[in-house]
Amino acid sequence: MRIVTRMTRFLFLAVLVFTLAGIPGAMATDSQDSVVEQVIQRGVLRVGMSTFVPWAMKDKTGKLIGFEIDVATRLAEDMGVKVEFVPTKWSGIIPALLTGKFDVIIGGMGILPSRNLKVNFTDPYDFTGMSIVASKKMAAGMTGIEAFNKPGVIIAARLGSTAVTATKKYLPNAEIRMFDDEAQAYQEVVNGRVHAVVGSAPTPAFQAIKYPGKLFLPIGGTFTREPIGFAVRKGDVDTLNYFNNWIGYVAAEGWLMERKTYWFETKDWEPQIQ
Amino acid sequence: MIGKKTRITATDLILLAGVGVAVVWLLYQATVQAQYRWNWQAIPQYLLRLDEKSGQWVPGVILQGVIVTLRLSFWATLIALFIGTIMGLFRTSCSRYRRMIGTGYVEIIRNIPILVWIFLFYYFIGDRLLPAIGIGRATFTGDSPLSGLLRLFVAEPSQVSIFISGTVALAVYEGAYITEIIRAGIQSIDKGQWEASSGLGFTRTQQLRYIIFPQALRRIMPPLAGQFISTIKDSAIVSVISIQELTFQGMELMAATFLTFEVWITVLAIYFAICLVCSLLVERFELHLKKEVLT
Repeated sequence: MRIVTRMTRFLFLAVLVFTLAGIPGAMATDSQDSVVEQVIQRGVLRVGMSTFVPWAMKDKTGKLIGFEIDVATRLAEDMGVKVEFVPTKWSGIIPALLTGKFDVIIGGMGILPSRNLKVNFTDPYDFTGMSIVASKKMAAGMTGIEAFNKPGVIIAARLGSTAVTATKKYLPNAEIRMFDDEAQAYQEVVNGRVHAVVGSAPTPAFQAIKYPGKLFLPIGGTFTREPIGFAVRKGDVDTLNYFNNWIGYVAAEGWLMERKTYWFETKDWEPQIQ
Repeated sequence: MIGKKTRITATDLILLAGVGVAVVWLLYQATVQAQYRWNWQAIPQYLLRLDEKSGQWVPGVILQGVIVTLRLSFWATLIALFIGTIMGLFRTSCSRYRRMIGTGYVEIIRNIPILVWIFLFYYFIGDRLLPAIGIGRATFTGDSPLSGLLRLFVAEPSQVSIFISGTVALAVYEGAYITEIIRAGIQSIDKGQWEASSGLGFTRTQQLRYIIFPQALRRIMPPLAGQFISTIKDSAIVSVISIQELTFQGMELMAATFLTFEVWITVLAIYFAICLVCSLLVERFELHLKKEVLT
Protein backbone atom coordinates (compact mmCIF):
# COMPACT_ATOMS: atom_id res chain seq x y z
CA MET A 1 0.00 0.00 0.00
CA ARG A 2 2.78 2.36 1.00
CA ILE A 3 4.57 1.84 -2.32
CA VAL A 4 1.39 2.47 -4.30
CA THR A 5 0.83 5.77 -2.51
CA ARG A 6 4.40 6.82 -3.20
CA MET A 7 3.94 5.88 -6.85
CA THR A 8 0.80 7.98 -7.28
CA ARG A 9 2.49 10.89 -5.53
CA PHE A 10 5.43 10.59 -7.89
CA LEU A 11 3.19 10.32 -10.94
CA PHE A 12 1.20 13.35 -9.91
CA LEU A 13 4.36 15.40 -9.45
CA ALA A 14 5.71 14.22 -12.78
CA VAL A 15 2.56 15.32 -14.59
CA LEU A 16 2.72 18.72 -12.90
CA VAL A 17 6.38 19.31 -13.78
CA PHE A 18 5.84 18.12 -17.33
CA THR A 19 2.91 20.46 -17.80
CA LEU A 20 4.71 23.49 -16.43
CA ALA A 21 7.78 22.70 -18.51
CA GLY A 22 5.59 22.67 -21.58
CA ILE A 23 4.48 26.28 -21.19
CA PRO A 24 7.72 28.10 -22.08
CA GLY A 25 8.50 25.34 -24.56
CA ALA A 26 5.29 25.91 -26.45
CA MET A 27 6.08 29.59 -26.86
CA ALA A 28 9.42 29.02 -28.56
CA THR A 29 10.15 27.39 -31.88
CA ASP A 30 11.35 23.84 -31.57
CA SER A 31 14.82 24.21 -33.01
CA GLN A 32 17.40 26.76 -34.07
CA ASP A 33 16.78 26.23 -37.80
CA SER A 34 14.84 28.87 -39.68
CA VAL A 35 11.25 28.12 -40.63
CA VAL A 36 12.25 27.70 -44.29
CA GLU A 37 14.83 25.06 -43.29
CA GLN A 38 12.29 23.23 -41.13
CA VAL A 39 9.74 23.29 -43.95
CA ILE A 40 12.23 21.81 -46.43
CA GLN A 41 13.19 19.07 -43.96
CA ARG A 42 9.57 18.27 -43.16
CA GLY A 43 8.47 18.46 -46.80
CA VAL A 44 5.31 20.28 -45.80
CA LEU A 45 4.50 23.99 -45.56
CA ARG A 46 1.78 24.56 -42.97
CA VAL A 47 -0.26 27.66 -43.75
CA GLY A 48 -2.66 29.27 -41.30
CA MET A 49 -5.74 30.81 -42.91
CA SER A 50 -9.35 31.66 -42.24
CA THR A 51 -12.40 31.74 -44.48
CA PHE A 52 -12.80 35.15 -46.10
CA VAL A 53 -14.61 35.41 -49.43
CA PRO A 54 -12.91 35.50 -51.95
CA TRP A 55 -9.53 35.19 -50.26
CA ALA A 56 -10.07 31.65 -49.02
CA MET A 57 -13.17 29.51 -48.89
CA LYS A 58 -14.33 25.93 -49.35
CA ASP A 59 -15.91 24.87 -52.61
CA LYS A 60 -18.72 22.34 -52.95
CA THR A 61 -16.34 19.39 -52.68
CA GLY A 62 -14.79 20.71 -49.46
CA LYS A 63 -11.59 21.75 -51.27
CA LEU A 64 -10.13 25.14 -50.38
CA ILE A 65 -10.11 27.72 -53.14
CA GLY A 66 -9.44 31.45 -53.34
CA PHE A 67 -6.75 34.03 -53.93
CA GLU A 68 -4.73 33.16 -50.80
CA ILE A 69 -5.01 29.46 -51.56
CA ASP A 70 -3.52 30.06 -55.03
CA VAL A 71 -0.71 32.13 -53.52
CA ALA A 72 0.15 29.56 -50.82
CA THR A 73 -0.08 26.62 -53.25
CA ARG A 74 2.28 28.32 -55.72
CA LEU A 75 4.66 29.24 -52.86
CA ALA A 76 4.86 25.62 -51.70
CA GLU A 77 5.29 24.43 -55.28
CA ASP A 78 8.22 26.81 -55.78
CA MET A 79 9.79 25.58 -52.52
CA GLY A 80 9.35 21.99 -53.69
CA VAL A 81 7.20 20.97 -50.74
CA LYS A 82 3.58 20.04 -50.13
CA VAL A 83 1.15 22.59 -48.78
CA GLU A 84 -1.09 21.95 -45.79
CA PHE A 85 -3.80 24.43 -44.82
CA VAL A 86 -4.74 24.89 -41.19
CA PRO A 87 -8.14 26.62 -41.08
CA THR A 88 -8.14 28.72 -37.91
CA LYS A 89 -10.58 31.14 -36.32
CA TRP A 90 -9.50 34.67 -37.22
CA SER A 91 -9.64 35.92 -33.62
CA GLY A 92 -7.09 33.29 -32.51
CA ILE A 93 -4.83 33.18 -35.56
CA ILE A 94 -1.86 35.18 -34.18
CA PRO A 95 -1.55 33.19 -30.91
CA ALA A 96 -1.76 30.01 -33.00
CA LEU A 97 1.16 31.22 -35.18
CA LEU A 98 3.21 32.16 -32.10
CA THR A 99 2.69 28.74 -30.50
CA GLY A 100 3.81 27.02 -33.70
CA LYS A 101 0.54 25.51 -34.97
CA PHE A 102 1.67 26.49 -38.48
CA ASP A 103 4.61 28.18 -40.23
CA VAL A 104 3.08 31.26 -41.80
CA ILE A 105 -0.21 33.13 -42.00
CA ILE A 106 -1.28 33.67 -45.60
CA GLY A 107 -4.78 34.92 -44.96
CA GLY A 108 -5.21 38.41 -46.32
CA MET A 109 -3.77 39.85 -43.11
CA GLY A 110 -3.45 43.63 -43.18
CA ILE A 111 -0.09 45.01 -42.06
CA LEU A 112 -0.85 47.06 -38.95
CA PRO A 113 1.78 48.64 -36.68
CA SER A 114 0.10 47.08 -33.64
CA ARG A 115 0.11 43.61 -35.19
CA ASN A 116 3.67 44.10 -36.34
CA LEU A 117 4.80 44.31 -32.71
CA LYS A 118 3.71 40.68 -32.28
CA VAL A 119 4.71 39.17 -35.64
CA ASN A 120 6.95 39.97 -38.60
CA PHE A 121 5.37 40.82 -41.94
CA THR A 122 6.75 40.32 -45.45
CA ASP A 123 6.59 43.02 -48.09
CA PRO A 124 3.01 43.58 -49.21
CA TYR A 125 1.93 41.21 -51.97
CA ASP A 126 -1.45 42.81 -52.30
CA PHE A 127 -3.44 45.89 -51.32
CA THR A 128 -6.99 45.91 -50.13
CA GLY A 129 -9.35 48.52 -48.82
CA MET A 130 -12.35 48.81 -46.62
CA SER A 131 -15.68 49.29 -48.21
CA ILE A 132 -19.09 49.87 -46.66
CA VAL A 133 -22.54 48.51 -47.48
CA ALA A 134 -25.65 49.93 -45.80
CA SER A 135 -29.21 48.86 -45.12
CA LYS A 136 -31.87 50.68 -47.16
CA LYS A 137 -34.25 50.47 -44.20
CA MET A 138 -31.93 51.72 -41.44
CA ALA A 139 -29.68 54.11 -43.35
CA ALA A 140 -32.04 55.58 -45.95
CA GLY A 141 -30.58 58.69 -47.55
CA MET A 142 -27.19 58.43 -45.88
CA THR A 143 -24.44 58.93 -48.47
CA GLY A 144 -20.73 59.42 -48.04
CA ILE A 145 -18.67 58.00 -45.23
CA GLU A 146 -19.17 61.02 -42.90
CA ALA A 147 -22.94 60.39 -42.74
CA PHE A 148 -22.21 57.25 -40.71
CA ASN A 149 -19.94 59.01 -38.22
CA LYS A 150 -22.75 59.87 -35.82
CA PRO A 151 -23.78 58.66 -32.38
CA GLY A 152 -26.57 56.09 -32.64
CA VAL A 153 -25.29 54.62 -35.91
CA ILE A 154 -24.49 50.90 -35.54
CA ILE A 155 -21.79 49.32 -37.70
CA ALA A 156 -21.19 45.55 -37.86
CA ALA A 157 -17.71 44.14 -38.52
CA ARG A 158 -15.69 40.97 -38.09
CA LEU A 159 -13.99 40.55 -34.71
CA GLY A 160 -10.24 41.15 -34.82
CA SER A 161 -10.18 42.28 -38.45
CA THR A 162 -8.84 45.53 -39.85
CA ALA A 163 -12.46 46.46 -40.53
CA VAL A 164 -12.76 47.16 -36.80
CA THR A 165 -9.63 49.31 -36.81
CA ALA A 166 -10.83 51.22 -39.85
CA THR A 167 -14.27 51.78 -38.32
CA LYS A 168 -12.78 53.07 -35.07
CA LYS A 169 -10.54 55.44 -37.01
CA TYR A 170 -12.94 56.78 -39.63
CA LEU A 171 -16.23 56.44 -37.76
CA PRO A 172 -15.25 57.10 -34.12
CA ASN A 173 -18.75 58.20 -33.12
CA ALA A 174 -20.54 55.13 -34.43
CA GLU A 175 -21.18 52.06 -32.31
CA ILE A 176 -19.44 48.86 -33.48
CA ARG A 177 -21.01 45.42 -33.15
CA MET A 178 -18.49 42.64 -33.66
CA PHE A 179 -19.08 39.13 -35.04
CA ASP A 180 -16.85 36.09 -35.23
CA ASP A 181 -17.68 35.46 -38.88
CA GLU A 182 -18.27 37.81 -41.75
CA ALA A 183 -21.49 36.04 -42.75
CA GLN A 184 -23.10 36.95 -39.43
CA ALA A 185 -22.20 40.61 -39.87
CA TYR A 186 -23.73 40.72 -43.35
CA GLN A 187 -26.80 38.87 -42.07
CA GLU A 188 -27.35 41.67 -39.55
CA VAL A 189 -27.39 44.36 -42.22
CA VAL A 190 -29.68 42.32 -44.48
CA ASN A 191 -32.09 41.88 -41.55
CA GLY A 192 -31.96 45.64 -40.97
CA ARG A 193 -30.65 45.46 -37.40
CA VAL A 194 -27.53 47.55 -38.07
CA HIS A 195 -27.00 50.58 -40.29
CA ALA A 196 -24.05 49.24 -42.23
CA VAL A 197 -21.25 46.66 -42.45
CA VAL A 198 -17.62 47.58 -42.95
CA GLY A 199 -15.58 44.86 -44.65
CA SER A 200 -12.73 44.22 -47.07
CA ALA A 201 -13.55 44.92 -50.70
CA PRO A 202 -15.06 43.39 -52.77
CA THR A 203 -17.51 41.52 -50.48
CA PRO A 204 -19.65 44.59 -49.56
CA ALA A 205 -20.21 45.32 -53.24
CA PHE A 206 -21.03 41.64 -53.94
CA GLN A 207 -23.59 41.66 -51.13
CA ALA A 208 -25.22 44.82 -52.50
CA ILE A 209 -25.61 43.07 -55.87
CA LYS A 210 -27.08 40.00 -54.16
CA TYR A 211 -29.72 41.96 -52.16
CA PRO A 212 -30.55 44.98 -54.35
CA GLY A 213 -33.85 45.58 -52.52
CA LYS A 214 -32.28 45.78 -49.09
CA LEU A 215 -28.70 47.02 -49.41
CA PHE A 216 -26.96 49.91 -51.11
CA LEU A 217 -23.41 51.28 -51.36
CA PRO A 218 -23.09 54.68 -49.67
CA ILE A 219 -19.66 55.28 -51.25
CA GLY A 220 -18.10 54.05 -54.47
CA GLY A 221 -14.92 52.00 -54.05
CA THR A 222 -13.03 51.89 -50.78
CA PHE A 223 -12.25 54.41 -48.04
CA THR A 224 -8.94 52.92 -46.86
CA ARG A 225 -5.94 51.35 -48.52
CA GLU A 226 -4.17 48.58 -46.62
CA PRO A 227 -1.05 46.61 -47.43
CA ILE A 228 -1.40 42.80 -47.09
CA GLY A 229 1.53 40.57 -46.15
CA PHE A 230 2.46 37.09 -44.93
CA ALA A 231 2.90 36.96 -41.16
CA VAL A 232 5.73 34.90 -39.65
CA ARG A 233 7.16 34.50 -36.15
CA LYS A 234 9.56 37.24 -35.12
CA GLY A 235 13.30 37.30 -35.69
CA ASP A 236 13.54 34.84 -38.60
CA VAL A 237 15.61 36.70 -41.20
CA ASP A 238 16.09 33.72 -43.51
CA THR A 239 12.36 33.09 -43.85
CA LEU A 240 11.49 36.77 -44.28
CA ASN A 241 14.14 37.14 -46.97
CA TYR A 242 12.90 34.07 -48.84
CA PHE A 243 9.25 35.16 -48.75
CA ASN A 244 10.04 38.78 -49.70
CA ASN A 245 12.02 37.71 -52.73
CA TRP A 246 9.40 35.16 -53.72
CA ILE A 247 6.76 37.92 -53.66
CA GLY A 248 9.00 40.17 -55.76
CA TYR A 249 9.55 37.33 -58.19
CA VAL A 250 5.89 36.39 -58.78
CA ALA A 251 4.83 40.05 -58.86
CA ALA A 252 7.37 40.76 -61.60
CA GLU A 253 5.99 37.80 -63.52
CA GLY A 254 2.54 39.41 -63.47
CA TRP A 255 1.17 36.25 -61.87
CA LEU A 256 -0.08 37.95 -58.68
CA MET A 257 -2.01 40.56 -60.67
CA GLU A 258 -3.54 37.91 -62.91
CA ARG A 259 -4.76 35.85 -59.93
CA LYS A 260 -6.04 38.95 -58.15
CA THR A 261 -8.09 39.94 -61.20
CA TYR A 262 -9.57 36.47 -61.42
CA TRP A 263 -10.73 36.37 -57.77
CA PHE A 264 -11.62 40.02 -57.19
CA GLU A 265 -12.78 41.45 -60.51
CA THR A 266 -14.66 38.46 -61.93
CA LYS A 267 -17.22 36.09 -60.49
CA ASP A 268 -16.22 33.13 -62.69
CA TRP A 269 -15.53 31.14 -59.53
CA GLU A 270 -19.03 31.56 -58.08
CA PRO A 271 -20.46 28.24 -59.47
CA GLN A 272 -17.77 26.37 -57.52
CA ILE A 273 -19.27 27.53 -54.22
CA GLN A 274 -22.99 26.91 -54.53
CA MET B 1 -49.70 5.93 -12.24
CA ILE B 2 -48.74 2.54 -13.56
CA GLY B 3 -51.34 1.03 -15.85
CA LYS B 4 -53.52 4.12 -15.83
CA LYS B 5 -54.61 5.13 -19.31
CA THR B 6 -53.88 8.71 -20.33
CA ARG B 7 -56.71 10.62 -21.94
CA ILE B 8 -56.38 13.72 -24.10
CA THR B 9 -58.31 16.50 -22.41
CA ALA B 10 -59.42 19.92 -23.62
CA THR B 11 -56.53 21.55 -21.74
CA ASP B 12 -54.05 19.45 -23.70
CA LEU B 13 -55.62 20.49 -26.98
CA ILE B 14 -55.53 24.19 -26.03
CA LEU B 15 -51.89 23.90 -25.00
CA LEU B 16 -51.02 22.09 -28.22
CA ALA B 17 -52.79 24.73 -30.29
CA GLY B 18 -50.94 27.47 -28.38
CA VAL B 19 -47.56 25.87 -29.06
CA GLY B 20 -48.54 25.37 -32.72
CA VAL B 21 -49.46 29.04 -33.13
CA ALA B 22 -46.17 30.11 -31.50
CA VAL B 23 -44.15 27.92 -33.89
CA VAL B 24 -46.01 29.19 -36.96
CA TRP B 25 -45.58 32.79 -35.80
CA LEU B 26 -41.83 32.25 -35.32
CA LEU B 27 -41.54 30.70 -38.79
CA TYR B 28 -43.50 33.63 -40.22
CA GLN B 29 -41.16 36.07 -38.49
CA ALA B 30 -38.13 34.23 -39.83
CA THR B 31 -39.30 34.07 -43.43
CA VAL B 32 -41.50 37.09 -44.08
CA GLN B 33 -40.45 39.68 -41.53
CA ALA B 34 -36.72 39.07 -41.82
CA GLN B 35 -37.12 38.86 -45.60
CA TYR B 36 -34.54 36.13 -45.72
CA ARG B 37 -33.99 34.54 -49.09
CA TRP B 38 -34.10 30.83 -48.35
CA ASN B 39 -32.02 28.53 -50.48
CA TRP B 40 -32.49 25.00 -49.22
CA GLN B 41 -31.54 23.44 -52.58
CA ALA B 42 -27.90 24.28 -51.88
CA ILE B 43 -27.74 22.21 -48.68
CA PRO B 44 -27.92 18.52 -49.85
CA GLN B 45 -24.65 18.79 -51.80
CA TYR B 46 -22.81 19.65 -48.57
CA LEU B 47 -24.14 16.47 -46.97
CA LEU B 48 -23.56 13.95 -49.72
CA ARG B 49 -22.34 14.47 -53.25
CA LEU B 50 -21.52 12.43 -56.31
CA ASP B 51 -17.83 12.54 -57.05
CA GLU B 52 -17.53 13.15 -60.76
CA LYS B 53 -14.14 11.54 -61.15
CA SER B 54 -14.81 8.24 -59.40
CA GLY B 55 -18.60 8.19 -59.84
CA GLN B 56 -19.07 7.35 -56.17
CA TRP B 57 -21.08 9.04 -53.42
CA VAL B 58 -18.76 10.79 -50.98
CA PRO B 59 -19.51 12.72 -47.78
CA GLY B 60 -19.77 16.48 -48.23
CA VAL B 61 -18.33 19.11 -45.89
CA ILE B 62 -21.08 18.80 -43.26
CA LEU B 63 -21.01 15.01 -43.17
CA GLN B 64 -17.22 15.08 -42.83
CA GLY B 65 -17.80 17.27 -39.80
CA VAL B 66 -20.27 14.75 -38.39
CA ILE B 67 -17.66 12.01 -38.70
CA VAL B 68 -15.10 14.12 -36.81
CA THR B 69 -17.69 14.94 -34.12
CA LEU B 70 -18.44 11.23 -33.64
CA ARG B 71 -14.75 10.27 -33.42
CA LEU B 72 -14.10 13.13 -31.03
CA SER B 73 -17.05 12.25 -28.78
CA PHE B 74 -16.14 8.57 -28.78
CA TRP B 75 -12.53 9.05 -27.71
CA ALA B 76 -13.33 11.84 -25.27
CA THR B 77 -16.00 9.68 -23.61
CA LEU B 78 -13.65 6.71 -23.37
CA ILE B 79 -10.82 8.73 -21.82
CA ALA B 80 -13.24 10.61 -19.56
CA LEU B 81 -14.67 7.31 -18.32
CA PHE B 82 -11.15 6.08 -17.52
CA ILE B 83 -10.19 9.29 -15.68
CA GLY B 84 -13.58 9.49 -13.98
CA THR B 85 -13.44 5.92 -12.68
CA ILE B 86 -9.98 6.34 -11.20
CA MET B 87 -10.76 9.72 -9.70
CA GLY B 88 -14.16 8.49 -8.46
CA LEU B 89 -12.41 5.68 -6.58
CA PHE B 90 -9.87 8.20 -5.26
CA ARG B 91 -12.70 10.37 -3.98
CA THR B 92 -14.12 7.47 -1.96
CA SER B 93 -10.73 6.10 -0.93
CA CYS B 94 -9.66 5.60 2.69
CA SER B 95 -6.40 7.42 2.00
CA ARG B 96 -6.66 11.10 2.76
CA TYR B 97 -3.97 11.83 0.18
CA ARG B 98 -5.94 10.22 -2.67
CA ARG B 99 -9.12 11.93 -1.59
CA MET B 100 -7.25 15.22 -1.82
CA ILE B 101 -6.10 14.52 -5.38
CA GLY B 102 -9.62 13.53 -6.39
CA THR B 103 -11.21 16.55 -4.75
CA GLY B 104 -8.55 18.89 -6.12
CA TYR B 105 -9.13 17.64 -9.67
CA VAL B 106 -12.91 17.94 -9.46
CA GLU B 107 -12.88 21.36 -7.85
CA ILE B 108 -10.34 22.83 -10.29
CA ILE B 109 -12.12 21.57 -13.39
CA ARG B 110 -15.65 22.31 -12.24
CA ASN B 111 -14.79 25.88 -11.34
CA ILE B 112 -13.23 26.98 -14.61
CA PRO B 113 -15.13 27.76 -17.82
CA ILE B 114 -14.75 25.03 -20.44
CA LEU B 115 -14.02 27.56 -23.20
CA VAL B 116 -11.03 29.06 -21.39
CA TRP B 117 -9.79 25.61 -20.41
CA ILE B 118 -9.86 24.42 -24.04
CA PHE B 119 -7.94 27.47 -25.26
CA LEU B 120 -5.23 27.19 -22.61
CA PHE B 121 -4.88 23.45 -23.12
CA TYR B 122 -4.57 23.92 -26.89
CA TYR B 123 -1.95 26.66 -26.77
CA PHE B 124 0.28 25.33 -24.01
CA ILE B 125 -0.20 21.62 -23.37
CA GLY B 126 -1.62 20.15 -26.59
CA ASP B 127 1.62 20.10 -28.58
CA ARG B 128 3.54 18.33 -25.80
CA LEU B 129 1.18 15.36 -25.64
CA LEU B 130 2.02 13.45 -28.81
CA PRO B 131 5.83 13.54 -28.52
CA ALA B 132 5.45 12.62 -24.84
CA ILE B 133 3.72 9.33 -25.64
CA GLY B 134 6.16 8.69 -28.49
CA ILE B 135 3.85 9.15 -31.45
CA GLY B 136 5.22 11.17 -34.34
CA ARG B 137 3.65 12.43 -37.49
CA ALA B 138 5.12 9.45 -39.34
CA THR B 139 2.91 7.04 -37.40
CA PHE B 140 -0.06 8.58 -39.16
CA THR B 141 1.38 9.17 -42.63
CA GLY B 142 2.90 5.71 -43.14
CA ASP B 143 1.49 2.90 -45.31
CA SER B 144 1.22 0.26 -42.56
CA PRO B 145 -2.21 -1.08 -41.56
CA LEU B 146 -1.79 0.65 -38.19
CA SER B 147 -1.47 4.05 -39.87
CA GLY B 148 -4.54 3.31 -41.95
CA LEU B 149 -6.53 2.42 -38.84
CA LEU B 150 -5.32 5.52 -37.03
CA ARG B 151 -6.35 7.68 -39.99
CA LEU B 152 -9.75 6.01 -40.08
CA PHE B 153 -10.53 6.11 -36.36
CA VAL B 154 -8.54 9.08 -35.08
CA ALA B 155 -7.75 11.85 -37.55
CA GLU B 156 -5.99 12.88 -40.74
CA PRO B 157 -2.23 13.48 -40.27
CA SER B 158 -2.64 17.25 -40.60
CA GLN B 159 -5.28 17.30 -37.87
CA VAL B 160 -3.78 14.82 -35.43
CA SER B 161 -2.06 17.16 -32.99
CA ILE B 162 -5.03 19.48 -32.70
CA PHE B 163 -7.49 16.56 -32.55
CA ILE B 164 -5.61 14.97 -29.67
CA SER B 165 -5.41 18.20 -27.71
CA GLY B 166 -9.13 18.85 -28.24
CA THR B 167 -10.08 15.31 -27.28
CA VAL B 168 -7.94 15.24 -24.16
CA ALA B 169 -9.06 18.70 -23.04
CA LEU B 170 -12.69 17.67 -23.45
CA ALA B 171 -12.07 14.31 -21.73
CA VAL B 172 -10.37 15.92 -18.72
CA TYR B 173 -13.30 18.31 -18.44
CA GLU B 174 -16.03 15.67 -18.73
CA GLY B 175 -14.00 13.37 -16.48
CA ALA B 176 -14.64 15.66 -13.51
CA TYR B 177 -18.40 15.21 -13.89
CA ILE B 178 -18.05 11.46 -14.32
CA THR B 179 -15.92 11.41 -11.16
CA GLU B 180 -18.79 12.90 -9.24
CA ILE B 181 -21.32 10.49 -10.74
CA ILE B 182 -19.17 7.52 -9.73
CA ARG B 183 -18.47 8.90 -6.28
CA ALA B 184 -22.18 9.50 -5.68
CA GLY B 185 -22.98 5.97 -6.91
CA ILE B 186 -20.48 4.34 -4.55
CA GLN B 187 -21.48 6.49 -1.59
CA SER B 188 -25.17 5.80 -2.17
CA ILE B 189 -24.67 2.14 -1.27
CA ASP B 190 -25.74 1.42 2.31
CA LYS B 191 -22.97 1.34 4.90
CA GLY B 192 -24.24 -2.03 6.05
CA GLN B 193 -23.05 -3.57 2.79
CA TRP B 194 -19.48 -2.50 3.53
CA GLU B 195 -19.71 -3.73 7.10
CA ALA B 196 -21.28 -7.05 6.17
CA SER B 197 -18.73 -7.79 3.47
CA SER B 198 -15.94 -6.74 5.80
CA GLY B 199 -17.38 -9.11 8.40
CA LEU B 200 -17.21 -11.93 5.82
CA GLY B 201 -13.48 -11.33 5.50
CA PHE B 202 -13.34 -9.53 2.12
CA THR B 203 -10.43 -7.16 1.61
CA ARG B 204 -11.32 -3.59 0.57
CA THR B 205 -10.62 -4.27 -3.10
CA GLN B 206 -12.79 -7.38 -2.99
CA GLN B 207 -15.58 -5.49 -1.22
CA LEU B 208 -15.56 -2.89 -3.96
CA ARG B 209 -15.34 -5.38 -6.77
CA TYR B 210 -17.87 -8.01 -5.70
CA ILE B 211 -20.30 -6.21 -3.41
CA ILE B 212 -20.35 -2.45 -3.79
CA PHE B 213 -19.61 -1.77 -7.44
CA PRO B 214 -22.18 -4.15 -8.98
CA GLN B 215 -24.89 -2.45 -6.90
CA ALA B 216 -23.56 1.05 -7.56
CA LEU B 217 -23.39 0.42 -11.31
CA ARG B 218 -27.18 0.30 -11.59
CA ARG B 219 -27.45 3.73 -9.98
CA ILE B 220 -24.49 5.12 -11.94
CA MET B 221 -25.73 4.09 -15.38
CA PRO B 222 -28.54 6.64 -15.98
CA PRO B 223 -26.60 9.80 -15.06
CA LEU B 224 -23.50 8.41 -16.77
CA ALA B 225 -25.41 7.91 -20.01
CA GLY B 226 -26.70 11.46 -19.70
CA GLN B 227 -23.10 12.66 -19.37
CA PHE B 228 -22.10 10.74 -22.52
CA ILE B 229 -24.81 12.50 -24.51
CA SER B 230 -23.72 15.77 -22.95
CA THR B 231 -20.19 15.12 -24.24
CA ILE B 232 -21.50 14.96 -27.82
CA LYS B 233 -23.12 18.36 -27.39
CA ASP B 234 -20.14 19.84 -25.55
CA SER B 235 -17.85 18.71 -28.38
CA ALA B 236 -19.22 21.67 -30.38
CA ILE B 237 -17.10 23.94 -28.22
CA VAL B 238 -13.78 22.62 -29.56
CA SER B 239 -14.64 24.37 -32.82
CA VAL B 240 -12.93 27.41 -31.23
CA ILE B 241 -9.54 25.72 -31.63
CA SER B 242 -10.39 24.93 -35.24
CA ILE B 243 -10.98 21.20 -35.02
CA GLN B 244 -12.96 20.51 -38.16
CA GLU B 245 -16.00 19.03 -36.46
CA LEU B 246 -19.65 19.71 -37.24
CA THR B 247 -19.94 23.20 -35.77
CA PHE B 248 -16.66 24.39 -37.26
CA GLN B 249 -17.52 23.04 -40.72
CA GLY B 250 -20.93 24.69 -40.45
CA MET B 251 -19.40 28.05 -39.57
CA GLU B 252 -16.82 27.81 -42.35
CA LEU B 253 -19.60 26.96 -44.79
CA MET B 254 -21.61 29.98 -43.64
CA ALA B 255 -18.61 32.23 -44.07
CA ALA B 256 -18.18 30.99 -47.63
CA THR B 257 -21.79 30.75 -48.79
CA PHE B 258 -23.67 33.22 -46.53
CA LEU B 259 -26.42 30.59 -46.11
CA THR B 260 -26.57 31.42 -42.39
CA PHE B 261 -29.95 30.02 -41.36
CA GLU B 262 -30.01 26.98 -43.62
CA VAL B 263 -26.65 25.80 -42.34
CA TRP B 264 -27.41 26.46 -38.65
CA ILE B 265 -30.73 24.64 -38.90
CA THR B 266 -29.09 21.67 -40.65
CA VAL B 267 -26.35 21.51 -38.00
CA LEU B 268 -28.96 21.71 -35.25
CA ALA B 269 -31.01 18.90 -36.79
CA ILE B 270 -27.94 16.67 -37.04
CA TYR B 271 -26.95 17.19 -33.38
CA PHE B 272 -30.54 16.56 -32.39
CA ALA B 273 -30.71 13.35 -34.42
CA ILE B 274 -27.44 11.99 -32.98
CA CYS B 275 -28.38 12.80 -29.39
CA LEU B 276 -31.94 11.51 -29.77
CA VAL B 277 -30.71 8.15 -31.09
CA CYS B 278 -28.29 7.91 -28.14
CA SER B 279 -31.06 8.84 -25.68
CA LEU B 280 -33.38 6.17 -27.04
CA LEU B 281 -30.63 3.56 -26.87
CA VAL B 282 -29.92 4.52 -23.26
CA GLU B 283 -33.63 4.26 -22.41
CA ARG B 284 -33.80 0.75 -23.80
CA PHE B 285 -30.66 -0.20 -21.93
CA GLU B 286 -32.14 1.10 -18.66
CA LEU B 287 -35.30 -0.90 -19.21
CA HIS B 288 -33.13 -3.93 -19.80
CA LEU B 289 -31.27 -3.30 -16.51
CA LYS B 290 -34.57 -2.94 -14.63
CA LYS B 291 -35.86 -6.23 -16.03
CA GLU B 292 -32.69 -7.94 -14.93
CA VAL B 293 -33.25 -6.77 -11.36
CA LEU B 294 -36.85 -7.95 -11.35
CA THR B 295 -36.14 -11.47 -12.64
